[in-house]
Formats: sequence, structure tokens, C-alpha cells
Amino acid sequence: MSKKVPVTLRVNGEEHELHLPPQRVLLDVIREDLNLTGTKRGCDLGTCGCCAVLVDGQPVLSCLALAKLSEGHEVTTIEGISAPGALHPVQKAFIDLGATQCGFCTPGFIVTAVAFLRDHPSATREEIARALSGNLCRCTGYVKILDAVASAARSMAPSGEA
Amino acid sequence: MHLDAFELHQPATVEEALAIASAHPGRFDFLAGGTDLLPNYKMHLNLRPQLISLDRVQELRAFRPEQGWIGSMVRLRELESSPTLRERHTALAQAASEVATPLVRASGTVGGNLLVETRCFFFNQSQPWREALGFCLKADGDRCHVVPQKERCYATFSGDLAPALMVLGARVEVAGSSGRRRLPVAELYDPKGDGIRRTLLAPGEVLVGVEVPKGDGRERSNYAKLRVRPSFDFPELGVAAALTMKDGRVERLEIALGGLEARPRLMRKETEPLVGERLTEERVRTLSEEVRRSVRPVHNTYLAPDYRRKMTGVFVRRALLALRPST
Amino acid sequence: MAGGRSEGRARRLSSDSEGGRDLVKEVEESRAAAGYHWIGQRVPLIDAALKVTGRAEYTDDLKRPGMLVGRLLKSTQPHAKLLAVDVAEARRLPGVAAVLTGERYPTPFGVLPMTHDETALALGRVRFLGEHVAAVAAVDEETCERAFGRIRVEYEPLPVYDDPKVSRESVKVQIHARALRDTNLQKEVFQHFGDVPGEIARAPFKVKVSGKYLGVTHGFTEPHCTIAESTPDGRLTVWSATQVPHYLHRSLSEVLGIPMHRIRVVKPEVGGGFGGKSDPFPHEIACAALAIETGRPVKVLFDREDVFYLNHGRHPTLNQVTITAGEDGGFRAMDLEALIDGGAWSSFGTVSTYYNGVLAMGPYRFDHFRYHGWRAYTNHPPSGAMRAHGGTNLRYTVESAVDELAVELGWDPIELRLRNFLTPNCKTINEFRITSNSVRQCILAARERSGWDRKFRQLPYGRGIGVACGFYISGSNSPIHFTPVFPQCTVHLKADMDAGITIHCGAADIGQGSKTVLAQVVAEVLGIRMDRCRVAPVDSDTAPVDLGSYSSRVTFMMGNAARSAAENLKLPLLQAASELLGHPVEALEASQERIHLRGRPEVGVPFVQALHKAIERRGALVASGAYSTSPLGGTFKGAKAGTAPAYSFSAYVAEVDVDVETGFVKVEKVWAAFDCGRPLNPLSVEGQIEGSIHMGLGQLLSEGLSYRGARLMNPSFLDYKILTPQQMPEVECLLVGEDDPEGPFGAKEAGEGPLVAALPAVGNAIYDAIGLRFLDLPITPDKVVRALEGQQKKGGGVKPAPPTRPSSVGRGTSGSA
Ligand SMILES: Cc1cc2nc3c(=O)[nH]c(=O)nc-3n(C[C@H](O)[C@H](O)[C@H](O)COP(=O)(O)OP(=O)(O)OC[C@H]3O[C@@H](n4cnc5c(N)ncnc54)[C@H](O)[C@@H]3O)c2cc1C
Ligand code: SF4
Ligand code: FES
Ligand code: FES
Repeated sequence: MSKKVPVTLRVNGEEHELHLPPQRVLLDVIREDLNLTGTKRGCDLGTCGCCAVLVDGQPVLSCLALAKLSEGHEVTTIEGISAPGALHPVQKAFIDLGATQCGFCTPGFIVTAVAFLRDHPSATREEIARALSGNLCRCTGYVKILDAVASAARSMAPSGEA
Repeated sequence: MHLDAFELHQPATVEEALAIASAHPGRFDFLAGGTDLLPNYKMHLNLRPQLISLDRVQELRAFRPEQGWIGSMVRLRELESSPTLRERHTALAQAASEVATPLVRASGTVGGNLLVETRCFFFNQSQPWREALGFCLKADGDRCHVVPQKERCYATFSGDLAPALMVLGARVEVAGSSGRRRLPVAELYDPKGDGIRRTLLAPGEVLVGVEVPKGDGRERSNYAKLRVRPSFDFPELGVAAALTMKDGRVERLEIALGGLEARPRLMRKETEPLVGERLTEERVRTLSEEVRRSVRPVHNTYLAPDYRRKMTGVFVRRALLALRPST
Repeated sequence: MAGGRSEGRARRLSSDSEGGRDLVKEVEESRAAAGYHWIGQRVPLIDAALKVTGRAEYTDDLKRPGMLVGRLLKSTQPHAKLLAVDVAEARRLPGVAAVLTGERYPTPFGVLPMTHDETALALGRVRFLGEHVAAVAAVDEETCERAFGRIRVEYEPLPVYDDPKVSRESVKVQIHARALRDTNLQKEVFQHFGDVPGEIARAPFKVKVSGKYLGVTHGFTEPHCTIAESTPDGRLTVWSATQVPHYLHRSLSEVLGIPMHRIRVVKPEVGGGFGGKSDPFPHEIACAALAIETGRPVKVLFDREDVFYLNHGRHPTLNQVTITAGEDGGFRAMDLEALIDGGAWSSFGTVSTYYNGVLAMGPYRFDHFRYHGWRAYTNHPPSGAMRAHGGTNLRYTVESAVDELAVELGWDPIELRLRNFLTPNCKTINEFRITSNSVRQCILAARERSGWDRKFRQLPYGRGIGVACGFYISGSNSPIHFTPVFPQCTVHLKADMDAGITIHCGAADIGQGSKTVLAQVVAEVLGIRMDRCRVAPVDSDTAPVDLGSYSSRVTFMMGNAARSAAENLKLPLLQAASELLGHPVEALEASQERIHLRGRPEVGVPFVQALHKAIERRGALVASGAYSTSPLGGTFKGAKAGTAPAYSFSAYVAEVDVDVETGFVKVEKVWAAFDCGRPLNPLSVEGQIEGSIHMGLGQLLSEGLSYRGARLMNPSFLDYKILTPQQMPEVECLLVGEDDPEGPFGAKEAGEGPLVAALPAVGNAIYDAIGLRFLDLPITPDKVVRALEGQQKKGGGVKPAPPTRPSSVGRGTSGSA
């Protein structure tokens, strides 16, 4: 069909040599070519945050990013947030505090929150809400999501600061 | 949803970008962060077969807030988190921080924001949606569904940065095949345009960056945005104001509005008479009223136009009262 | 803020009211006395670890070898005859494997057996913009779209009906042949108990309130997705994002003409439903049809716009209620009308029409009730069941009327409600059997915690507090498929040498946590660790039938079925332990991973030992349990509608801040007192309440399907405005329900009921703040400003007058619950 171009992607520390039509967005490549289905497709138009992944540590919308333009950058998906068998404190808090219900928005929230807490370890609840204001959740009403991120922040704070 | 096939170019310099553009007249788009262009492409709005990504053009990424220089490819996230901007050019940092969502701001750029496509209920819809109704002037059709006629488009300019940059007296640098030029942001938008073309840029011109006058630190500015939700939503009204006082009198006062009409507007006619005057509450009130009276929103966004008009008065008043030195 | 300066008074009040009782603490203590190990614990969802790591598998995450992409072509006309759908050219396009049109599978279907008016693809007629007229299976999405370009659809436009009021009258063209008389009505309901007109004529106090509601939609984050595969052994497998695998199973069989036993329906994880995935859908059947046609697996994935067109959300509604009261403040009569816009299909419409009336009275007692309801077909996308189906718009109008009546009477609205609550163990005039009912405790707790007495009518102009109550069914008593009489829910358990318990149940976990409830119940009964319990995926080949995640029935019905299955599994374990220990079965109990003498864990055997003994020579233990409802309700027409084995109750107080210049309403806090009986998992219950409040406030403030004519103007998450994290108020959940006598471990529903009081509590708070009542939802800032201007013209904004009747409750008279 359409012309393909070589694309080298680094995703979760692994390098992938791919041949892709240049119009493929990162979301499609991650889900369909790399079989990393943890990243979700909620709207395809930048309006829900389900597809968030980290590019060089910053959360971006993979439904609005051309895969080709992610070359030379480090992509991290929900699958790469924690080592196998381990959980990131944000993930742990999501479980314990009931911050996931249907779970479809959850990967997007988690990657966004992980990046945010890394840069703002002592964020307030308002700041967390603002940082997550590009992610929609229809199940939880966000209350427990904010609880979980705030609690993860406390658990990650060097002792004495919490 | 998928994107239709296009050829992707990744020039490394402005000159290369211009050369590719001139090789494909009328058949290309520049691509910055893609947060405006790609959703529109997914909806099959004015597709072009060639996309020229500005991603690799290092020059466009320069960000020197101390010197008042912001490259067109600087991300909105960088603007909102710059302490210098927040302090010196508050309106700009505020406007940047209110665009879309944090996830969009991570990719969205300054250039893309200034050149963001105008918006309308009947335009920002999928191809099948528009086809079912009948295409409109702005894409593939020959009539307007908002103001029935066949000449003009009334789609709303919905970028947040433009009004802020306007009141700050910023200039854009534009590169074209005939060289580079600088012009005030306010002059980027065509007052006599048909509402379809967004700016006075010549086809194939690249926006290089924005120069914000450094000033002497006396200027105070702010930006306030009317929208239903505190994130996601485009402005239903954006009010930027900048004020410099001297000896208790107005030395410089600018107000610019976005989210209301087909282009952002600097309200010189209304603000000029106040130069040299004291900014009494009474004057603020009269000015807000005048600004309100001069705007003409149409019904193509979520909130009713009469309301957006009324809020123009409220927002202008609030902005000025907040900027006025507290005495 | 407001609270700060009256601290002192607040403290005094809290020790005054209810004689210093802390209702929340009291129920918690009484619950603890039951001594359960898992029940009532804040248990994280058992699948949460999969969800937070991206490992949970939703339908779109699945791939089958050789899978094709299926896409559906939307109609460009809202109402038209389909003169021709010419697909010949599309079929010839390379990469296209099949193109189907409506004629291929003409059998009509629908969720309710009586109102089958949908087909897999439009047949002869399209009835809304976006209805599917053809299905394509091809190698990729691009090819599908190219094929669409080659399908020639010839329409002959028909009159478009976009106003339910017009549909109620005599019409030129009926949208469906089955519409009533010569109208476009899908259903009409009339009920009358007592003497409503007489009461209205006599009443010393009465209020009449009309409400107008835009349609709203579920807005789940996972778009619809279905995969189907037809294999050479004559079997069909369908994976689908569905809330009710069983309805899909039936409809596939009916329409495709394949016996149910050769169809397998699998429900992967579902990314939210809220009622919007409970109908069997045309696209699911079309997907299966494509798979049969091509012999290859096919996946149909919706884009967000398709999701908006399929809709099945809450009906656009016009309703009107008159409530009368005597001099003593006692409610007497309720007169109610509701006209709901059903859109193009019946869906759950017959039920919706009933629910929009019969759920109106609870939690209050009325002796006279009249309801006239109509559901109109229009050329809008179909409406259907959405969280708190039928009970939401109705509740807003009724609770606004109750608030208004309190003003009329000069009463505090909480006292007026206290005066009029249904008691526990009573029967309503329309013959609902009420058993457990803690609405009184709910309103007292909310009043206490919110500081109501020092805030109501006392906050500054622009700031307000409001109250509203709620009532909802805990499971519909009559299942949709009621002959022959199958149980509502069945659970199978299997315990084998690995000492794990596999739980099979057809109930769909759509994020609400029903799998976790299953594991909790089974672990509780068997006295074992929860991680021994694994809940098998819902697969019609192995899971016994459940009649679905709707009508808030899962916890109640599945919980009871699971409990009974676990009791049945426990029996052989007790017998084995009895053999090992030499104590009679009756003397034993199971707890702490042991089977032991009652109250003496040290005299016993480990669970694993008992299990191994029990399966000696007989193999894995299997047990089954089921739950059936017993007959309820009167004998009049429609008497079964709204009957439930139990009801949830609630009382919410909300505090708001209105910017009187811009019209923006900020909800500061909601005190949500909810009676779900004993909460099996408070963590989940709170999650349901918080999520419900989010959804309710969205409908109240900004959500709404906006139509121009028959055209949906906002089929996107940008223009359909769901609240964002920054807009959520603080929520305090007060779970004060007493145990329900029939619910599993005393539990009742908490999935839908928590929604209904949220909207009117805020609406009434807005009234308290600025003296304006908004009965036209959503309450967008432009509406607020327009109303404030009207108020200005009449002399300016002031707070409504405080109640004139001295407060009695809280001094022990009617407050003693
Ligand atoms: C959900 C959502 C919400 C949004 N809300 C807002 C909002 O509230 N306010 C707002 O202002 N915007 C909003 N946007 C639009 C958009 O994200 C921003 O305007 C963003 O700043 C655009 O920048 P970009 O780099 O992504 O632009 P792109 O999409 O890359 O480009 C936009 C246009 O500018 C042209 N262009 C870009 N850079 C140059 C250049 N250097 N030279 C010449 N032409 C150029 C492109 O050709 C294109 O026509 C929203 C978008 C989404 C998806
Ligand atoms: S204003 Fe008119 S021409 Fe412009 S986009 Fe809207 S409908 Fe089209
Ligand atoms: S899928 Fe990317 S934002 Fe919704
Ligand atoms: S958990 Fe379901 S959308 Fe967030």
C-alpha cells in the first residue's frame, strides 16, 4: 500500500528496527507492531490521555505522535515503568488505594504520574490534579487516583521529609 | 483512526525546509508538535501529501527567555515552567499553562499555537460527519453553515498565546524564500481576510521564533481564559492585558482578545485614550464596556455568543483591576 | 471560610444532635461485631495488579492469526429509505475480503424479547445519522475506508422526527411499524393509585416543577470492540466488550441462525460500561457475520465518534411533577409525567418508560400516585440504559420539588424529608416491598457531618448548601428472560489438589469489582486466604449463565449465588475434617485456613488437609449455587417494574460556590451518606460513590448530547464535556446502612443508586446560594448568567428566606432513628 520507511525505535530500553509508513502514529506501532498493548486507545484525538507514554521521560500522547519522529528518543510505556516482578510506588498505591476500576485509563494515569512525581516529588494535591488534568477517567471520579499519587509521593520521599 | 499516507520530510535547517516547501507548492504542511495538525488530518481536514517536520531544525528550538527569544519549536511546557517568563511576561506563561492539557503541552509548540487552525462546530468534525451535512467553505465545500453566505468563514481563532504575545508587543521572525523579516504578532493575522487563511504568512514561509521585548521590569501582564473545563477546552474567550504605570498614570496599556472572532485582536482603539490617564475603577469599567461592545462572536462554540460577549466585559475588568497597582 | 468562624457553634451542635451520637461510628462498630474476616474489608481489586501494569487484556488487545479489520459504513441520512446499497465495486477492491449489507441477516433482534426492532445492518431504511448500512472486512483500516468510497448508497429521504413531542402525536411516517396507533410512540405507561386529582384540588400545599434534560452518554474510556472467529468445526467464538455476555449469546444465535451451544462468547476485561455495553449490539452481530463470511477472524473496533452514535445513553427527558402536602407537612399525592426521547430503537425502552415513573416516590411515602409516561421514537441515536437508569432525571425533578415544597411550607428541607420517609419493612402504594431502609440514618449523618444547621440559608450570597435523597433498585426482581424460570445468577466452584478454588460465574466485571466480591465471599465462607480464589474469565463454554451486569444486580444476586455455592463446597470439607478430627460436622467451622471446632482454632486441621481428604478417591470438588428472586409486586399492569429484592437509599448534602458574575458553579464538597446495607468492600463502594458523583456532576454542569435537528453536534471527548480531575469536589462517604435481611452478608447495591442524589443536592445548593432553581440541564454558566440577569431586573440577588418553622429534629423528637 503506502510507502514504508525504516524506523528505529527504542522502547523500554529495547531497540526495534521497523519498516513503517511514515504516517503511522506511535500508538499504533506500540500496540500493533510491538505488541505492547498496555497503552490504550481511548479517542485517537488527544482528548483522553489513555495513550500517554513517556518520550525521554516526558509524558506525551502517542496517538498524536508520528512514530518516525520518535527515532532517537527513549520511549517508555506502561510495560517499562517497573522492572518485571516489581511495582513502582505509584502502581502499588493505585492497587492499595482503589485507584483503578475498569483499568482502561490506568496506564495513561500511571505513566503521567510517574513522570510528574519524579520532577515534583513534593507536589500538593492541587498540583497533582493539574498534572493529571489531561487524563480522563470515567469510573473513579479521580478521588482515589489523587489519593494514590499523593500517597506514592509520600512513600517515595526520602525518610524524614514525609 | 488512521492518517492517510503522506511523505514525511525532516529537514535540519530552515533553508532546507523552505527548499522542500518551494518544491511542493500548495501541497505541503509544516509539522511542529502535530497536536493541531494531526487531529485535523485524522478528520481529513485539508490534507496535504507532503509533511515537512520542523523537529530537527535546531535553530527553531532556541529558548533564551532572558533575552526575550523563543524559538517557534519551543514546547508550551517549557514556556509555562520558565521562571523568567512567569516573572517578566506573566501573561505569556499563564497563557501557555492554560493551553489544552499537560499532555498536549508536552508536544505543542509556540509556532503551532500561533498558527493553530481556527475552529468551528461544523469544521472540527470527521469527514463522514461533514459529508452528511454538506462540506463547508473552510474544507471541501462552498457555503457556510454558521452565517449562511458563500464568501467568508467565521471559524473562531482559538489559540491562547497570540493575545498574550500581542499585549507584550512581541514580534515574530518569519523566514521565506526571499529572506527573513520580523513583524508584530498583531500583524500576523489578516484583518481583511476571508477567515479561511489564518495569517498573512506567505505560503511556504516558516515561523522562526518570537521576540518578546525585555522591558525594564515595570510591565505587569496577565491572561485569563474562559472555558467550560479547566483543561482540554479551547478558549471561548481569552483576554490578555499588559499595563505599565508611571507616576500613577498609564504609560502603556494593551488588551488583546482571542477565542471570540476569526482572528485575535489588539484593542488599541479602546485602550489608547487611557494613556496618560489614571486608571480609576470608573475608567476600567467604561473601558471594559467599550471592549465588550466592539466584539462580535458567532455561535460556533460551546457557550452562547451573547454570554461570551458579556464575559469579555467581565474578564477585561477583572484583568485590569488585578493589574492596577493596589493603592 | 464559612466554617471557620462558626467552629464553636458547630462543636456544640454536634454534641447536641442525636445526643452526641456518631452514627457512622455506631454502624461501623455494630458491623464489626459480626466478626467477618474478608467481608467489609478494604480489599484491593484482585485484578488491580494486572491493570496497573498494563497486563489486563481488553478486547482490542487480543489478536487472532490472520485477523481482518472490520469497519462499518455510517448512514449520511437521519431518516431515509434505503433504495440501494450497491457494494459490487467495493467487493472487487483488492484487500477486501467481504462486504455485507442488511439483507444478509434480516432477523430483527433487541435486548427485550418484546421489542425486537434492530437488525445487524440497516435494512430497507436508516433511522439515525450514523446507523450502519454496510460492513466491510479487509486487510486494514485504510482498505476498509477505500471500500466505503466505492459503496453507492441510494437514499430516499423521509420526514425527520427530532422532537419527542411531535412523535407523540399523529405522524406521517412511523419510524417503526410497531409504534403505537398512528404515532411514533414506542411505549406509553399509565398508572394511578388513590385519588390524585381530588388530592390536588384539596391540598393546602402543592408545588409543580418541570424538568428538561439533555441526553447524556456513558463516556466509558474503552470504545466498543468485538472479535469474531468462525472455525471449520462449525463453531463461532466471539470476544466482545460487553456487560451481558448472555444477551449477546442469545442474539447471535437468533440472528445468525446458529444454535447457542455452537457459539462461544468470551468477555475480556471491559473498560467501563455504565449500561452502555448491556444491549446486544448490531456491530457485534455484523462482526460475527463478517467472520462467517470470510472464514477468518475479524475485529471491529469503534472510533470515539461511533461510540457516540451507538449511544444508548440516558434519555433526553421532559418531565413534570406535582407534589401535595398537608398542613402537617405530610406528603399526600404525587402526579408525574415524563416524555422521554428513545431515539431510533427500543433498546431497554419499555423498562425505561416504567422506571421514569415508578421509581419516583421512594424514599418518601405517598398515598396517592399517578404517572403518565411516554417513550418516543425519534431519529436520534438510540437511548438506552445508563447508570441509575430511569432514576436520575426523575430524581432531580422530584428532589427539586421537595425542596420547593419546603420553601412553600417554611420548613427546613431536611426536616421535611425526615417527616416523610418510608419506614423499613413497609409496602409502597405501588406495592414495592421495602425491607431494610436506613435513609433516616443517612440524612442525619449527612446533616451532622456537613454542618448543615449552621450553614443552611446562612452562608453568604453566592455560597450555598443543599440536600437531596435517593432511592434505587438493588437488582431487578424480574429478569428479562423469565420463561422458563432460570435462576438470576449461578456460580460454580472447583477445588482441586492445588488447593486453589476456581470460581466460574457469568457475571461481567466491568471495573466495578465483582470478581473481587466473588473471591471475598468464597474466601469468607471457606475461611481461607483470598489468593486461593481465582476467578475464571467469563466464557460461555465454562461459566454458568448470569443475566448480566445491569440494574445493579451483581453484588446482590451474584453474591448470594456465590455464598450458596461456597456453602455447598464447604460441606464435604467439613465432613472430611469431621472424619479426621472425630467431631461432628455441626461442631465445626472454617476460619483462618483451618477447619476446626467452633471458636477453637487450635482444635482442627488445616484447610488443605481437609480438602485433600475430601478429594481422596473422588477427585476435584465441584459445587454450584444459584440465586433466584421470589415473586414480588402487585398484579396491576406493569406491577413488576421497579420491584427489587431490596432498595438502596441515600442522602447527599452538597456545598457550592457560584461566581455570580460568570455563572460558574464550583462544587466544593459532597457529603454522601449511602445505604448499601453492609458494604462488602468499602474501598469499592467509595469508588462507586465517587465515580457516580463525577458522572452526576458532569450531567448537571456540562455534559449533554447536543443536537441540531437530528444531527449530533458533539460526538467527541472535546465537545462532550466530562469533568476533569481539577473539577471534582471533595467527597466524604458515609456508609451508614444497616444489614439487609436478604442481601449477601447484608449487602445491597452501590453501583447506580449513588448517582441519583448527587445532581439534585447540588441543584438545591445552587438555590440556597443564589435563590435560583435550574431545571434545564446541564446548568452551563451562560444559563446561570441569564437567570441572574433576570433576578437583577427584579431587584437583585438575595438568599432565599430561612425556614420559619423552628427546628425540632436534633433535639431528639423525630430524630431518634
Ligand atoms: C485536546 C486538545 C485541546 C487543545 N486545546 C487547546 C487550547 O486550549 N488552546 C490552544 O491554543 N490550543 C489548543 N489545542 C491545539 C494545539 O494543541 C495547540 O495550539 C498547540 O500549541 C499547537 O502546536 P503544535 O506544535 O502541536 O502545532 P502543529 O499541529 O504542529 O501545527 C499547527 C499549525 O501550525 C503550522 N506550523 C507550526 N509550526 C510552524 C512553523 N514554525 N512555521 C510555519 N508553520 C508552522 C502547521 O503547519 C499547522 O498548520 C488543543 C489540541 C488538542 C488536541
Ligand atoms: S464558519 Fe462557516 S465556513 Fe467557517 S468553518 Fe464554520 S461553517 Fe465552515
Ligand atoms: S487515545 Fe490519545 S488522547 Fe485519547
Ligand atoms: S478506571 Fe475506568 S476509566 Fe478510569
